Amino acid sequence: MPHNSREDDLERRVESWASSQGSAEFPSEIQQKISRMLAPSLTPVKPLSSQRTLVLEFLAVFTACAIALILILDKAGFHLMTALQMTLIPAILFGGGILFSIALAAGMVPSARRRLPPVVLPLAGLSVIIAMGLLFPWRTSAAFVSQGWPCAFLEAIITVPAGVVFLLLARRGALFASPGLGAVLTGLAVFLALTPLQFQCMFQQAPHLLVWHGGTALLLILLGALIGQLRRHRRIS
Amino acid sequence: MGETPTQDRELRDLMIRYQSADARALDELVRRISPPLLRYFGGSRSLQNDAEDLLQECWIRIHRSRHTYRSSEPVMPWVYAIARHTRLDAYRKRRRLESREILVASVPENLDRAAPEPLQDDGFDRLVASLPEAQREVIVMLKVSGMSLEEVAKATSSSVGAVKQRAHRAYTALRHGLEKDGKDAT
Repeated sequence: MPHNSREDDLERRVESWASSQGSAEFPSEIQQKISRMLAPSLTPVKPLSSQRTLVLEFLAVFTACAIALILILDKAGFHLMTALQMTLIPAILFGGGILFSIALAAGMVPSARRRLPPVVLPLAGLSVIIAMGLLFPWRTSAAFVSQGWPCAFLEAIITVPAGVVFLLLARRGALFASPGLGAVLTGLAVFLALTPLQFQCMFQQAPHLLVWHGGTALLLILLGALIGQLRRHRRIS
Repeated sequence: MGETPTQDRELRDLMIRYQSADARALDELVRRISPPLLRYFGGSRSLQNDAEDLLQECWIRIHRSRHTYRSSEPVMPWVYAIARHTRLDAYRKRRRLESREILVASVPENLDRAAPEPLQDDGFDRLVASLPEAQREVIVMLKVSGMSLEEVAKATSSSVGAVKQRAHRAYTALRHGLEKDGKDAT
């Protein structure tokens, strides 16, 4: 059979199959059953804000919390940073906040347009790690652990309530719990925690920042993904 | 077959009325949207017996998420996105149950083979049912529901390029299936 004729035959069969599917009978008792099931809980609902508004809401919370925490916490680290560090690190962290806000807002609406390729969020995290490695001196002190764990602790205690706040905002949407959504939500909270921490920390050296700030961030994001997985597990059981 | 612009406008109006708690709009939406959803769930070989349960579960999710629909967007991609999550959760649940069953009893190695035959005993229907889920759902959305490539991309959380690729692979698989059937017949 010539090629074009085979293509036409296939298309014809697909169309015929599709129209047979479209004309199939649908039992009216199922329809009535569904209507009866939903009718008692039928109340007016307010449609969710636009995706842009949702992103702006997340960013507003991110910025307000970051500024409040910077004002509350010590700013020793800020005075130790060079002009380049002072410019680039907050810019990268805020940029990460924007990207994670976009991803989280998209996760709230079924069929929301995917604005970010999947590789962008890991790249945002990687850019923080690279900036920490390149912009800060590679020195370490004998008190590496005793200097480090308070930073890790502070990062965790900022991330947890921030994550809860973002979850409360995101719950207005139709969230389908998954490891990815858990990681995105925690990622946004981690970027928020890293911002005041960078201004507060007086150990502005690459090994300290990479292990105690970056490492903790990675662990927290993994924990968020795990929580997402557990919630999905609970939903389907 | 397929939603025309007028039908899509009607569906959008019904969704807006449904959001305002109009019971008639709910009935009409259930009447219009359920048949393609039932075909979507029923076309999957391993979930065919659960199609009605999945349809009800999907409607519960649609109901709970109805505030996330925006009137500026077409209805069907939003509906199919929820249906897709419903189906994926059902797969995960089934897989978990099956893995538990395997521990206590001997079951067939390939559970798909043990799945019941499709409702219609038609060769092409069987060919479509044998497609991988990701390809089959794209064909159903494009051809049965008449959605555009962009709408299918939205419903499946993927890019237009990925949808085109899946549709192309589905057509290639169907072509090979038809050729094989033709050879077997001769």
